[in-house]
Amino acid sequence: MKLLSEIELDALTEVFNVGAGRAALSLSEIVSEEVLLSVPSIEILKAAEVNDRVLTLKDNKFATVSQLFTGPFDAEAVLLFTENYALEIVRDMMGSQMSIEDLAEFEQEAMCELGNIILNACLSAMADMLNISLSSSLPTYAMSSPEEIAARLAEQGNDDSYILVLHVDLVLEKHHTEGHLIFLLSSTSLSKLISHIQQYLNNIL
Amino acid sequence: MSSPGPLGFSTDEVVNNVNLGLIVVDHELRIQLWNNWMSRHSRIAREQALQQNIIALFGEQLTPGFLRALNSAIGYGLPAILSSAFHRSPLPLFVEQDKSAEPLRMHQSIIMTPLQSGDGGQTCLIQISDSSTSVKREKMLMSHSDALKREAITDGLTGIYNRRFFDESYALALRAAKRNRSSLSLFMIDIDYFKQYNDHYGHAEGDKALRLVANTLRAQMRRPNDICARYGGEEFIMLIPGFTEAQAERFAERLRSSVNALDITHDMSQTGGHMTISIGVCTQTPDQGSDGQTLLHSADHALYRAKKQGRNQVMTGI
Repeated sequence: MKLLSEIELDALTEVFNVGAGRAALSLSEIVSEEVLLSVPSIEILKAAEVNDRVLTLKDNKFATVSQLFTGPFDAEAVLLFTENYALEIVRDMMGSQMSIEDLAEFEQEAMCELGNIILNACLSAMADMLNISLSSSLPTYAMSSPEEIAARLAEQGNDDSYILVLHVDLVLEKHHTEGHLIFLLSSTSLSKLISHIQQYLNNIL
Repeated sequence: MSSPGPLGFSTDEVVNNVNLGLIVVDHELRIQLWNNWMSRHSRIAREQALQQNIIALFGEQLTPGFLRALNSAIGYGLPAILSSAFHRSPLPLFVEQDKSAEPLRMHQSIIMTPLQSGDGGQTCLIQISDSSTSVKREKMLMSHSDALKREAITDGLTGIYNRRFFDESYALALRAAKRNRSSLSLFMIDIDYFKQYNDHYGHAEGDKALRLVANTLRAQMRRPNDICARYGGEEFIMLIPGFTEAQAERFAERLRSSVNALDITHDMSQTGGHMTISIGVCTQTPDQGSDGQTLLHSADHALYRAKKQGRNQVMTGI
């Protein structure tokens, strides 16, 4: 069963790319160099189908930043970056000489901010384009393996939970990293999201 | 200001005693709350701050990051954080003890959380914590780890590099020499009759002599890629890239005479009443398969011959 038509999926991708563009601008301000951020593709899956395969990136540890948000639809948003790349980027942004093993408290805070900037930019783009308002919790940072994340999703979701997987491409001058942005939402929330996208499409078409 | 309520204390008192800056701004960015911590660290009294627009109050001193976070919290109701790593000091807040005209700016971490206000407009709580101490702690940890790295490659007695550092550098120098098809000269250096010196003058004098010889040898080096290390008890090793065999021999002779010139009295020495060294030197352009062992063995064997032939001299290996 196809949950979203091609055009709806395109619209959703567009929303997230507007968010990604805003996030890139904010990140450029911090590093004073060009930052490119894009969301090349989106997948929608049943939470129960999520396994390591979906989450596999080039590394086996993720740096994750999550925010719980509520509004016309509720979801948990989790940004996943491969640990090593994410830290390299944060360290680049800070101009820090520290080795990854010495990951410091303030680097974790910086990672939290990086995630917060990207998540807020996506949520605010959604709020603007779909004409809704959302609230959110503060970001929390954690280090997890793909298995741990899959287990967490399985535990929080139930039979009719879905996840929205966005592939994220982040390019800073010296580094290129891939990540995922995951939204875990119930089927009720998903259908509300879909109806907001349909409204958005009706308004612009 | 509220008086003690049913809890037995007033929330105002809590707000003013908390060791954290607290500001509340309404949807028009007017300041509604400004706790004592803010007054102390911004040097702006509560009366001056209240009802002021926060952007007007701080003016051009506000960073784009701070404005972005404020927009996210007030404009969209999304909480935002500003890490001290990326922003250092977003607000003009100062270290309290610093009473000078140009006081030190405080490192800060800021969290903005939207509050649900009764009248429907968005208000926002801004919490500022002083991260100066954690920044200081990180810096201290970093300099400690630098010091540990330095210690791990330094010989404790003489202060020159240790064998571990030499072994690592030798592998790198070997790779570079193969790549550039250039030569490597290895100098094995031994203090003559050092055991007798130690037995006669005592360990304290022996250590002093070792330090002096080590630093004299090190002082002969001219280029950043030259390496001088303590290899064993009274044994030193030097590695110099790019020398011809003749240059290496001349350099070894210079090393020998530099120790000679120290003129350290050594009554137990059979080479003339003062401290001397023997040197085995070998210069090779390593071939692709070389693991560096032949060069080490040749220099070692040359040193053996120098000692056998009466010490206080340079021998060249092939």
